[in-house]
Amino acid sequence: MSRGAPRVFARIGFWILIILIFVYLMFPFYWALVSALKTQRELIQTPATLWPANVTFQNFRAVLGSETFLRALWNSTVVSVAVTVLSLAVGSFAGYALGKMRFRGKTPSLYLILAMTMFPQIAVLAGLYAVIRVIGMPAIPSMIISYMLFTLPFTAWVLTSFFRGLPDSLLQAAQVDGATMMQSFVYVLLPLTAPALVTTGLLAFIQAWNEYLFALTFTTIEAQARTVPVAIALFTGEIARQEPFGEIMAAAVIVTIPLVILVLVFQNRIVEGLTAGSVKG
Amino acid sequence: MADPSASTRKVRSGPSELARREERTAFWLLVPSLLIILLIAFYPLGQVFRESFQQREFASGVAGEWVGLRNYQQLLSLTIRELPAKVDDDGNPIVEDGQIQYESWVRILPREPQRFRSVGQFSFLGTRYVLGATEPAFIRAVWDTLVFTVVAVFSETVLGMIIALALTAKFFGRSAMRAAMLVPWAVITAVSARIWEWMLQPTRAGLFNTLGAAFGLNDGRTNFFGDVATQLPSMIVMDVWKTTPFMALLLLAGLSTIPKELYEAARVDGANPIRQFFSITLPLLMPTLAVALIFRTLDSLRVFDIFQVVLGRQRYSMASYAQDMLINVRDVGMSSAASVVIFVLILIFAVSYIRILGVETK
Repeated sequence: MSRGAPRVFARIGFWILIILIFVYLMFPFYWALVSALKTQRELIQTPATLWPANVTFQNFRAVLGSETFLRALWNSTVVSVAVTVLSLAVGSFAGYALGKMRFRGKTPSLYLILAMTMFPQIAVLAGLYAVIRVIGMPAIPSMIISYMLFTLPFTAWVLTSFFRGLPDSLLQAAQVDGATMMQSFVYVLLPLTAPALVTTGLLAFIQAWNEYLFALTFTTIEAQARTVPVAIALFTGEIARQEPFGEIMAAAVIVTIPLVILVLVFQNRIVEGLTAGSVKG
Repeated sequence: MADPSASTRKVRSGPSELARREERTAFWLLVPSLLIILLIAFYPLGQVFRESFQQREFASGVAGEWVGLRNYQQLLSLTIRELPAKVDDDGNPIVEDGQIQYESWVRILPREPQRFRSVGQFSFLGTRYVLGATEPAFIRAVWDTLVFTVVAVFSETVLGMIIALALTAKFFGRSAMRAAMLVPWAVITAVSARIWEWMLQPTRAGLFNTLGAAFGLNDGRTNFFGDVATQLPSMIVMDVWKTTPFMALLLLAGLSTIPKELYEAARVDGANPIRQFFSITLPLLMPTLAVALIFRTLDSLRVFDIFQVVLGRQRYSMASYAQDMLINVRDVGMSSAASVVIFVLILIFAVSYIRILGVETK
């Protein structure tokens, strides 16, 4: 009996900790949702209320009716999908070569790819933007190409370790059957890589969806190419007297929900990919 | 009579032909990646390096002018001068409200060849000094970014460790918790900055001022982003929320590789949980921890989004300074020089990262 009481306390303490962590992680998102559902009058009312007195969808309607926001959603989708597809294609070629082939210059190539995963975007910003302006490339293709700066090395790196983990016997069997290196890649290895492609593709997509520095810079003089992060950062409502936080929060909720769903569905994949990128083994 | 050497050569030429083919295929497979890296990383990096020695207005169409190290000199020049006390006509120091009054830095800091302005003042061994710089905004940005990095990464590690340790226990709803951890990570950084901006409003319309006033912690009017004293702490709080889950996930992955038997053995030996943490968990988690720390440090040093969204031109991180110099000030040379400084700083950390991570080539 004497051991029972401390154990109960430990249990209660543990659950309090878990609940605290949960609230800490989720609260800002909850606050965005609640604020988006408040009326303009309640938003500026002090003190702030923890729960909307009158639930209104006015903010959501305003955001979803805003052409700027819808265009930003479209731009973000185009850019992120294109970046993901391109990185997976180019990255899986590199991953195959680096993971499964023997050639001179392999070690330097691996070091190069690894170093590139840490390359700071700001270091090339002025140079990249100058090139883009000189050749007159529009902002959307510019973003697609320059986002590969951070998606490609990561994709290639994770896929390399994935290919390395596939048994050599598979390749040899295919070659005995007379398949060329490329045929065994496309018909034998690529189908096996599907799970790794999903993982790295998701991470590339999320990174591209998130990107702000290049997007902000490249669209300074091309406002109609703005992506979601830029649009929300620069959001000014129809009535520009005050910052329309209700609408901003509605927009924040709208762009976060698809990501939350992705994350819930592919939870294990994402965790795997994140840790593969940075934990050895 | 057959020539034996010919037959061995023939046998050997088989695999070497195969090896050559493999080498060629590998080359062509790598070409697209290398071309892209060359185009979007090395070429622009070279441009930035070159431009950092020039003076040019952005998008002006006018060719740059070579200025040598002048941009770097402008960015990095520092000086420390003693700040003498103000004296009255008799040569006694003037004291107001118990505080010694010092001369203004304007009179102390050099104006030639370039004008120095004050970054800050400090006292050391009873003497007052002023730190002057030709570009105080950049020196402050470097200092702020370093402080931001150290405090944010430290807090994330401690919090991330607590969360990771809590999640090693098996309990109902554990996978829901793990999903919840991915939410802050998945929210767009610029968007999370706006959510926090809303929560940290300078009136009680904001959550934190409401809570602060309700619990009597402040007057409900703290201007978190307008007041110099609360700017950096606010940035750190935002960053910690966003990145702690990532840290926790990495540490959780590291924790799962520690064999359970070690803890059982320690328990049998009578080691309490705190002892166990310091003698088993921490040493075995070191490799993961080191990687996570360097990874996060690199990320933090290039922080841009939250500073740009919330503070704009009020206060800079290194990256937001360089971007602002390019787009708003339109000074390509200064922006490029700042970028090179950031690049070199990050390079130093990245090299240590690669040393720790290493490359398996087989």
